[in-house]
Amino acid sequence: MPVFRAFVALVIALSALVAAAATPGVSDREIVLGSIQDLSGPAAMLGSPVRDGMLLRLEEANEAGGVHGRKLRMVLEDSGYDPKRGVLAARKLLDHDQVFAFLANFGTPVVMATMPLIVEAGRPHLFPFSPHESTYSPLHPLKFQIFAPYQRYMDAATRYMVQSRGYRRTCLLYQDDDYGLEVLKGVEAGLARVGQALVEKTSYKRGATDFSSQIARLRAADCDFVVLATVVRETIAAMSEARKTGWMVDMLVTASGYSAQTHELGGMAVDGLYAVSVLPHPYAAGANRALADWIKRYRARFGVDPNVWSAMGYSIADLFVRGARAAGRELTVARFVSALEHLETTRDFFGSPEYHFSGEDHLGNRYGRLAQIRDGRWVILTDYLK
Amino acid sequence: MSLLRPALLSVAMIAIAVGVLGADYALGQATLVTTYAIAGLGLVIIVGQAGQITLGQGALVALGAYVEALLAVRGVPPLLSMPLAVLLGAAGGALASVPAWRLGGLYFAMSTLAFALIVEEMLVRWTSLTRGGAGLSVPAMAWGGLKADTPLEQVVVSVGVLSLVWLACARWMRGRLGRAWRAVREDEIAAAEACGIDVGAAKLHAFVLGGGLAGLAGALYAHWIGFISPEQFGLTFSFELLMLVFIGGARRLSGALWGALVIVSLPQLIALVRDALPGDSSRSAGLETMLFGAVIVLAVLLRPQGLASAAEGGRRRGRGRAPY
Repeated sequence: MPVFRAFVALVIALSALVAAAATPGVSDREIVLGSIQDLSGPAAMLGSPVRDGMLLRLEEANEAGGVHGRKLRMVLEDSGYDPKRGVLAARKLLDHDQVFAFLANFGTPVVMATMPLIVEAGRPHLFPFSPHESTYSPLHPLKFQIFAPYQRYMDAATRYMVQSRGYRRTCLLYQDDDYGLEVLKGVEAGLARVGQALVEKTSYKRGATDFSSQIARLRAADCDFVVLATVVRETIAAMSEARKTGWMVDMLVTASGYSAQTHELGGMAVDGLYAVSVLPHPYAAGANRALADWIKRYRARFGVDPNVWSAMGYSIADLFVRGARAAGRELTVARFVSALEHLETTRDFFGSPEYHFSGEDHLGNRYGRLAQIRDGRWVILTDYLK
Repeated sequence: MSLLRPALLSVAMIAIAVGVLGADYALGQATLVTTYAIAGLGLVIIVGQAGQITLGQGALVALGAYVEALLAVRGVPPLLSMPLAVLLGAAGGALASVPAWRLGGLYFAMSTLAFALIVEEMLVRWTSLTRGGAGLSVPAMAWGGLKADTPLEQVVVSVGVLSLVWLACARWMRGRLGRAWRAVREDEIAAAEACGIDVGAAKLHAFVLGGGLAGLAGALYAHWIGFISPEQFGLTFSFELLMLVFIGGARRLSGALWGALVIVSLPQLIALVRDALPGDSSRSAGLETMLFGAVIVLAVLLRPQGLASAAEGGRRRGRGRAPY
């Protein structure tokens, strides 16, 4: 019998070894990861810091000995925000590079075109930069997300602003596409919960530079609070137009306007602007020790200052490292998914939210916090709003 | 013979790619190359044969893609939905060609640019039908128990469709229609009208057929990519298609396949080369775009008549046969 038991144990051990060897992207020496970024298209200024943030975290993990003795290697592909290139890149990463998982794929069209290929191939699709609900719902064992749709953040933020500051006449300026409509739904839901309705709303076409008519319309409606579903350039243009005409109304922009560029380019015109933040901007001035060290390392490695996108990339890679560590030495997709589903993080030196996944919920965070531009920099005002 | 050389080259490239890169990756590339080549054939007719510059072909591809997507999600079989996609592409082509009755050259090109902008705007704003910027998910091509959702099945469908439309285009170009187009291209008054050719009708035919092919390519593209949104079919895409046909060779059918090979596969080839670069050089943002641009400039400088002309020129000279 001992011989039989030893034989069974050997078979099990061998099976485990074969299974581990058979896991794509995992060898004795390394774990290969893939990421499809926009490094040359319309969002290249966001894709590059995301990439650098991820690389920094993976390099740090490698310097510390890797994950269970395996080095982490990332293969990056540039989609240029083009889903056709994204699909080809995904196939390359799946077939040629044999990646274990995809991290932080960038842009809704690219994500929507590549996600089915990736999950059909049995690879985890982790934390894409797309607020599309299908990145985590309906529940799929291989889809994980930490960025909620705008609607969720804006509901809580609008409610908080109206309740804490006593606004009576809330209005909205929104981009006339899916992004704007989603924010509209969130603002309306937030107002409904405090017994109010939207007083006025006006839209603009993507790429617009003149907001004089929209601002005049909102002013004529006597709004005392304006929510902006805009991106950086439009945020600056709209707020500058209001201030130029002497209208000092309070404005709140979505996380899309929460960028260092907003105050760098907008100057005094955007001072006082409120925004929703899902991760604080990593300023060197006033940084805690860990953050200051991180900024120094980032500068030394890439020769530029980090921004909020770098911090997001770093956080995403960090979540992967934590999940892979928790999965143990015998890394398989099933073990990794199970580890991620039990992962609970605490606040890190960025001031990130607490990410939490479970077997029933693969959206790690639903909350944003309020920030305001004061003296040319974003200042965090609240904790994460629930 | 014009088909044989690029076809053989494509087969050889696919065989090498399958061996080196893996079957699905190589077949996925081949699927997109053939699909782009179908759209390219439409431009060979409009630009290379009829001599009209169009900057709005991406919009006609979009029309086909949206018709196919909207019908596919409602369960309409491809045998019914794809002809409708072709029809709408052809109708769009006819509409885009209306200014050609009065305008020519760059002025007409600008009108096709306006047409493309209008179509893109319509796709963004008609949210009840197109879901606007949110885009549409497109199911795999399926009919009854048959489904084309693996790269092999998709490439079989694409190659089959390309072969059929190639034969049709060759027939049109050899016949009376082709001669009329070429007369219009060379000189609308002296060569065409003087011979009794209805210039307006010849241009209309070119745009209808070219639009139909764009619609067909769009229908296939929608299935292969699986998600369509208006920004995919913007002006950049139209310029990409125009670049495809100029790089490949606008006057030859094989130009569409050569051009598609370059436009679709070259960035992937560059990505593979980039992976082999040492250290941080592969990190440089836009490196692939820069290399891609340099290769395109070189191709245009060294082969101004397109890659197809370089490949076929020698053989044609030997036989004394003129290109179209």
